[in-house]
Amino acid sequence: MPKTITEHNLRLLIDSLLKDRFRVVGPRLAGAMALYEPLAKGEELVLDQLPRRSAKEVFFPVCENILSFERTEAGLQVTDVDLSAMSETVLVGVRPCDAAAVPVLDEVFSWDYKDEFFLERRRKTTIIGMACTKSDDACFCSAVGLSPGETKGSDLFLTPLLGGGYGCQVLTDKGQQLLARYPKLFVDTVDARLAPLAGGTGDRLDLKRIKAWLDDNFESPLWNDIAERCAGCGACAFLCPACHCFDINDEGTTELGHRRKHWDACGFGKFTNHASGHNPRDLQNKRYRNRIMHKFKYYDDKFGQTLCTGCGRCIRHCPVGIDIAAILREIESRSQ
Amino acid sequence: MCSNSNNIYLPHLATIEAITDETPDVRTFKLVFQDEQVRDSFTFRSGQFAEYSAFGAGEATFCIASSPTRTGYIECCFRAVGRVTEALRALEVGDTVGVRGPYGNSFPIEEFYGKNLVFVAGGIALPPLRTAIWNCLDQRDRFGDITIVYGARTEADLVYKRELADWEERGDVNLVKTVDPGGNGAGWDGKVGFVPNILAEAAPSAVNTIALVCGPPIMIKFTLPVLEKLGFTDEAIYTTLENRMKCGVGKCGRCNVGNVYVCKDGPVFTARQVQAMPQEF
Amino acid sequence: MNKSAQKLDVTPLVDESYCAAATQAIRCEATRLLTEGTVAAVIGYQAGRRKGTAMPTIVSSPEKAAELIFSSACVNNLALYLTKAKKEVRGKGRLAIVAKGCDMRALAGLIAESQVKRDELVIIGVACAGVYASGADRAAPLTNATIARKCRECVVHLPEGADLLAGSLPQQPMLTPLESQELARLEALTPAGRWAFWKEHFSRCVRCMACRQVCPFCYCEQCLCDRNRPQALESTPRPAGNMAWHIVRAMHLAGRCAGCAECERVCPMDIPLNLLNRKMAKELKELYGYEAGLQPQEKGPLAEYKDTDDQSFIK
Repeated sequence: MPKTITEHNLRLLIDSLLKDRFRVVGPRLAGAMALYEPLAKGEELVLDQLPRRSAKEVFFPVCENILSFERTEAGLQVTDVDLSAMSETVLVGVRPCDAAAVPVLDEVFSWDYKDEFFLERRRKTTIIGMACTKSDDACFCSAVGLSPGETKGSDLFLTPLLGGGYGCQVLTDKGQQLLARYPKLFVDTVDARLAPLAGGTGDRLDLKRIKAWLDDNFESPLWNDIAERCAGCGACAFLCPACHCFDINDEGTTELGHRRKHWDACGFGKFTNHASGHNPRDLQNKRYRNRIMHKFKYYDDKFGQTLCTGCGRCIRHCPVGIDIAAILREIESRSQ
Repeated sequence: MCSNSNNIYLPHLATIEAITDETPDVRTFKLVFQDEQVRDSFTFRSGQFAEYSAFGAGEATFCIASSPTRTGYIECCFRAVGRVTEALRALEVGDTVGVRGPYGNSFPIEEFYGKNLVFVAGGIALPPLRTAIWNCLDQRDRFGDITIVYGARTEADLVYKRELADWEERGDVNLVKTVDPGGNGAGWDGKVGFVPNILAEAAPSAVNTIALVCGPPIMIKFTLPVLEKLGFTDEAIYTTLENRMKCGVGKCGRCNVGNVYVCKDGPVFTARQVQAMPQEF
Repeated sequence: MNKSAQKLDVTPLVDESYCAAATQAIRCEATRLLTEGTVAAVIGYQAGRRKGTAMPTIVSSPEKAAELIFSSACVNNLALYLTKAKKEVRGKGRLAIVAKGCDMRALAGLIAESQVKRDELVIIGVACAGVYASGADRAAPLTNATIARKCRECVVHLPEGADLLAGSLPQQPMLTPLESQELARLEALTPAGRWAFWKEHFSRCVRCMACRQVCPFCYCEQCLCDRNRPQALESTPRPAGNMAWHIVRAMHLAGRCAGCAECERVCPMDIPLNLLNRKMAKELKELYGYEAGLQPQEKGPLAEYKDTDDQSFIK
């Protein structure tokens, strides 16, 4: 019999987790928008808004210390970060487009050298995904092969029911453990009719054909046409659930300070600038090309996955109206 | 520092044991790891690079310029052009720097056994070849003829001047040194001309020969056709690419040339590989 | 909310014919300029794929001029594309640009700062009743509920100094000046209260630099915040560096910012940046009787010294 949970119990679940010393992160109001932030109580969980920033920051924070240093009488001392101190976390209310990006990011942070800052958080986090019942015209998850009911990346997946509450689908051991820990909050239901999921999330794009076009069109007038308007900010990359470029910088003084890893964006003019002044991507169209190439070709070449989950954030918030879904349609049509 | 840390961004600490000024703005550090275990276990191959930190300023990427045949220390060579390199330059003998690495691929020296070698370098791009040159010279009998064509803008811009003299004196190396026209002083005993032209003039045989080329993009651009004319195939020409890097380990996403990550797939590439890349470097 | 306010929230502020007329006039002029070869390109707006959206476009052929539009979705300040930050566009040759009243003020500032030469530019002014607020429902018409905050207090619906005026202005209802009210509220707070307000907002800044990248006046080749020798402010997205960045930016724009509020519109973290700009503008008006962008003026008050300047701050 399928397990279900009422909205009330979902909030109770958060309270119970907090009581049991878990860190619980979920959509929470920050002004008029929602952000994935630590919740202080179940009531804070926002259920009807796609958070402005994606859930990637739970694993890959905007900025984090990767070491500290201090010059002492005994010489320069470097202090490592205690990764074991990271909290056991439950990430709740994650939209499918955000949850699906997490296993995509696993690839880059775990191939060859292991980025334990990402991976330790990943190990310690249980993801409760939630199906989407509301979309807008920037959403295009279905176009990139996902859907409003996609369970990729979730340990436990909630689907809204017609009569309120959520059907629960256990996808991993982590999800099972969570369910087993609070058995009273989840109930068996005979009638678990699912609410209709969001529609209009885009007709399926032929990503293989798009990639084939990208393979052959590093040089194309298209890049100029679409990127001439690009203002060169990092809004698209920073809101994206899959963009993961970062910078490393020392802050403080030479006597005492921290080394920090923080988000960076390939759209920034200085991103690839050499100290000599030489810049391989000296124009905005080259930088925008890299963005599309990385998402739909390079990452696929390397890891067999697309670096885009169709969340639509970059479309909604591009200062100059660049629409990646429209660009993909254009590329698809050119690849006929 | 915890040597069994799983933090891939945590550098080893090393002490600057010696400083050599190669040119007015290019400096060599001889570095010795502070942790005895690291000192004993650190190995690398010619062509690999590292991330060097001046704590408080950040990290910068350079090749390991010494030869893996010389153990107990490593050397790096840098020009003070940015925040980190200027901070490194401000350090003195006995100071501490951070070293992460070795990273990237390397010259397949073992595959060169039994072959002739031609090294072609320009300006501050000698260090990535210098590690391979000493590596080969330290096992000299494994290789055939060794030719080194090295040039810089002026006499003062030549790096490793003492070693150039060493190589010149050795009977088993053919060193051709050159400076750009106008860069020669009264006592200059080398050639005058741009590296590609001097290489064409030296005309080393391409038979059973590997060419290793490092230099500014403009030098590489004009050197490759010369090598081709001399009969070198694209597979017999090796070069190194440089790109701005931060992590050095295939994560941070800025050093890619197309789908090639210079930090992981490089920095050493054959001319064939370089030609197959999108021209964005 | 009372009944009349509710009614205002759904009553369209403009009817469709107003935008259609402006669109027609822009297309006509752009076609003429491009056909006659007067300009190499026209910087204007085209419709986006999504309903009720528009985006900047750079049109170089008369045929493409038919894609130009004007609507309440034409939010961007296109003056950006004339600055040094956009060398690709400037390289095309003589340009024409579509400018709303607020954009016109930025153009006046850029002309004053010798970034743009007036005689090398054709300005197609457009009568503007206001544009959508960022995040407004574009499926709905422009109403009291969906209009941008800056437009509620607009005094430049009709751009002055353009070569041509496209469209004509429908009658405008008076709208509550929400931004002034918010500014007054902040001014009435204690310094600690204001600090808390901005600290909260800046804590969310991710340093995406959208505020800088869309600003017509942020055309520095080397932005102070990108400098690292010496490093003026921390580059990582953390409270200290964020606060420093936004303060530095407000100061650098004081006496120059013409109030287009693009920085605020594009901020993905909803930071009300234009309040800082408004405050600086207000101070300058009170101290020097100066308003940026009203006419091309060689120097703003912060770029020159007069004996009559207020010196009361010297203690």
